[in-house]
Amino acid sequence: MMLTEPAVYIVDDDAAVRDSLTLMIEQAGIAVYAFENAKAFLNAYSPDFFGCVIIDVRMSGMDGLQLQEEMTWRKIMLPIIFLTGHGDIPMSVRAIKSGAIDFLTKPVIREKLLICIRVAFTEARKRISEITQQRQIISCLTKLTPREREVMLLAVQGHSNKEIGSCLGISYRTVEIHKSKIMQKTGASNLLDLARIARENDLGR
Amino acid sequence: MSAVKDLSLRSVLDAAADAMLLTENSGRIVLANPTAQQLLGYAPEELKGLTIEMLIAPQYRKQFRYYHKLFMSRPAKRPMHEGNELIALDREGKEMLLEISLSPIKAKQQLYVLIIFNVANRRLDAEEALRTSEERLRLAKQAAGLGIFDYDFKRNIIYWDKQMRKLWGRHTEKTVSYEEFVAAIHPDDREARQAAIDKAMDPNSTGEFKAQYRIVNPVNGAERWISARGRVYFEAGCAHRLIGVTRDVTEQKYIEKKLQVQRGETENILKQQVAVRTASAIAHELNQPLAAISAYSEVVLHALDNESFIAPHLRRALQGCVEQAQRAGRSLHELLAFLQKGELITEQSSLAEIIHEALNFVYEDGYGRFYPLLRLQQDLPPVQCNRTQVQKVLVNLFRNAIEAMNVTDSPLLTVMTEVQKIGPQQFALVSVQDNGPGLDASVSKRIFEPFFTTKSSGIGMGLAISRALIEANGGQLWIDEHARPGATFQFTLPLVS
Repeated sequence: MMLTEPAVYIVDDDAAVRDSLTLMIEQAGIAVYAFENAKAFLNAYSPDFFGCVIIDVRMSGMDGLQLQEEMTWRKIMLPIIFLTGHGDIPMSVRAIKSGAIDFLTKPVIREKLLICIRVAFTEARKRISEITQQRQIISCLTKLTPREREVMLLAVQGHSNKEIGSCLGISYRTVEIHKSKIMQKTGASNLLDLARIARENDLGR
Repeated sequence: MSAVKDLSLRSVLDAAADAMLLTENSGRIVLANPTAQQLLGYAPEELKGLTIEMLIAPQYRKQFRYYHKLFMSRPAKRPMHEGNELIALDREGKEMLLEISLSPIKAKQQLYVLIIFNVANRRLDAEEALRTSEERLRLAKQAAGLGIFDYDFKRNIIYWDKQMRKLWGRHTEKTVSYEEFVAAIHPDDREARQAAIDKAMDPNSTGEFKAQYRIVNPVNGAERWISARGRVYFEAGCAHRLIGVTRDVTEQKYIEKKLQVQRGETENILKQQVAVRTASAIAHELNQPLAAISAYSEVVLHALDNESFIAPHLRRALQGCVEQAQRAGRSLHELLAFLQKGELITEQSSLAEIIHEALNFVYEDGYGRFYPLLRLQQDLPPVQCNRTQVQKVLVNLFRNAIEAMNVTDSPLLTVMTEVQKIGPQQFALVSVQDNGPGLDASVSKRIFEPFFTTKSSGIGMGLAISRALIEANGGQLWIDEHARPGATFQFTLPLVS
């Protein structure tokens, strides 16, 4: 994955709103891609999209909140900023709870929008680094031998080296060697760390 | 004396006006005079040989036998009107109540009884019928709460019944002077009631009298609503008396009022919803271009502040502002057109008719008290308009006027029509004037604005809608700021050319 400069993806069915916001955000030196509806955005989406999405709540066809759901379902991790005609409080609460960065009322004030975009970019970077980290760990886990996996499973369940040895029919020493290899491959600093990695990757169940 | 001797028993009986039967002690009839035959519906000689018992209705025969035995054991004269009665059957089997007298006559070994009788139930029927009908009338009057009055114009007095005296309170006499009668009527209602009487007294009218008014009980000050109906009777073309009934309709009035308030509330909620939806529609339609204009403007402003002009960008932003401002204006017009959607169906209508309909509507609505004063141009040509919409506007103007005159002593609602020529076209000009406190200049400037209101319970759409309706009908609605007293609204409608 290439970490390029973040961009803003606008989804709004009003051409003038789209155009004016594009102009405003481009003026701040940020790349903008605009889409006239949710479907156009989803069709164009590719995993290398990086930055944040500005979505109008009230759109014909799939509305803003439905698009948010769809993105969650498709595991599209881009942070969302919602735009709305009038501050609908229950709706905004729902949107924020589902992970939206903010809920801005039209007409939008330039300064507020740009701050919001910056917050969203920070969030996007955080999400990306988290994903990268997780991917690295997963690739480490795949490097483990079948026997090492067995040892790791029993170790994170809290069994002693002696118990693991008798359970797998190997010596106490061999267990110790396997464990040090596991720590090496996963990069875990101690047993607790290893347990966390196992939990986060759905191992050990 | 000798002449008397010649009279046979038979001839005496035959001549008697009363019905008579002569029976043996067994009860067998030996003689029946023609009156008796006629009463019982038998042919001559048919009764002879029958027993009295056979003439008695079967269900009373047992009782009769007992009394017959009792009488025979100690025979004595039993005159009429002592309560000796028999339920007999005539030849057709119809029951009749007979009042009888009994006179025992001894002759040789035989005891005869002379029975004289007449029909009691004929008289009873009439009495009963009269009693029943009076009772029915009384019950009906009571049930309906009806009082009866008879107003004698010449003597200027009113005969009234107990029910009415009770309503008027304190009065016990069966007559009352007209002045005293009127004194109990609520001062606000006297004029309208008198007008109704005057109308009914017109020899050219049907004489029908109909009025509703309040009376104030002099004892406890309680107000009751009375509905009076009656008819004036004429003698030689001159009103002679007014007879009618009154009914206490206070409860009914109360329910009507409550219903009216409820209806008003429902209407208000509806209006409010319409207003909310209209406002929301306007908000959405205007917010999009406003959002764009705001963003474009900030782009230009930011460029100016940073002296970083990119000419095509600035042009695009300013061009966007202009387009969006125009789009907002278009949206508004489209929205207004939408609110008056559907093709307007107009017809040739008499403006006077529409005005009367609207007045009736407001009057029956019980919206408040007012005296209408109509100055309608007699030969006004018909107008081309949508009747319902114009009526709606008039009702709205009338209601506003009546509400404004809430504090006025004699609220006068003046409605005028006249022809006005504007350019080549002729219009009907309608003026609606009240004599309330009038409007401040600051209020009249804003009075047609949507959502502007001076009423605590209003939503301020009435006049805005009225103006839109009149404009849709090809006319104009405005307020005449200089007319006095009160407030004057005027509107035009195109006359049929």
